Amino acid sequence: MKQWLMLVYKIPREPTAGRVYVWRKLQQLGAVLLQDAVWVLPYTSRTQHQFQWLATEIEEIGGEATLWRSEFALDGQEEGLVQRFEAEVNETYRQILKALKGRKANLPALARQYQQAQARDYFHSELGKQVRQTLLAARGGSSGEE
Amino acid sequence: MKSRRPTKWVTWENVGVDRIACAWLIRKYIDSNAAFVFVSPQQKTLPKGAEPFDIPGARLSHHRGHCSFHAMLKAYKLNEPILNRIARIIDEADTVQEVLLEPAAAGLDLICEGIRLVSDSDQAAIDRGALVFDALYCKLKRLEEEGPADRN
Repeated sequence: MKQWLMLVYKIPREPTAGRVYVWRKLQQLGAVLLQDAVWVLPYTSRTQHQFQWLATEIEEIGGEATLWRSEFALDGQEEGLVQRFEAEVNETYRQILKALKGRKANLPALARQYQQAQARDYFHSELGKQVRQTLLAARGGSSGEE
Repeated sequence: MKSRRPTKWVTWENVGVDRIACAWLIRKYIDSNAAFVFVSPQQKTLPKGAEPFDIPGARLSHHRGHCSFHAMLKAYKLNEPILNRIARIIDEADTVQEVLLEPAAAGLDLICEGIRLVSDSDQAAIDRGALVFDALYCKLKRLEEEGPADRN
């Protein structure tokens, strides 16, 4: 059974800048929105660290935040959540692969996109490995990693 | 202000990039006699008379999306270009940032986490980690002294 982190928060409606700020950080982390303001990430020491400080920031801008570590208590629900994480990152990977097929692929930009996606690839998607190999092959010289 | 500077500092155990950098900054610029105490996040009360850092809610911790190292520079008025640059690198290494300008950040984060893994204690990790920040500071300073490439 996996462990998950849930960030539950409330933030004043005004100023909207605060809400947008927090929302963008959650996007950056690749967190999944479960319900109204319940965001979830797989538990790692790293995600715990990131969510802990985000909770502190939410309180600093006048909101309330609680951070939970939890497990699914019902069989069969976990897989669906894992798939949501995979679907999001795989979508980005597919876009990169598609762009790599173009004749004028912008390799430095696509490599950066890959790095960003990889930071959110919590379940180590097979597609990610394929993107990595394709990027390495596209740069010319010897292909693949040693 | 100066006379009230504490000699005992407390933070959570299992130090990473921000706390290793803070410890380096404290010993180098704030309190050369600093002693450090590392406590578990579960510990409810912090040791008396010790200045907490990088603990949520503390004065010397994350504020408005900036790391604790950044808070220390502000609190102790250490306004120096190289230290500000290091603060930016640690911001990117330790917090979620949309704008990434410092390629050294991700590597520094990994190396600091690795330093903790190869060290027997948090104390050993901050002692060893100091070399990394001495090196970073020295190289950034050298780059600044060299200035931009010649136009001719």
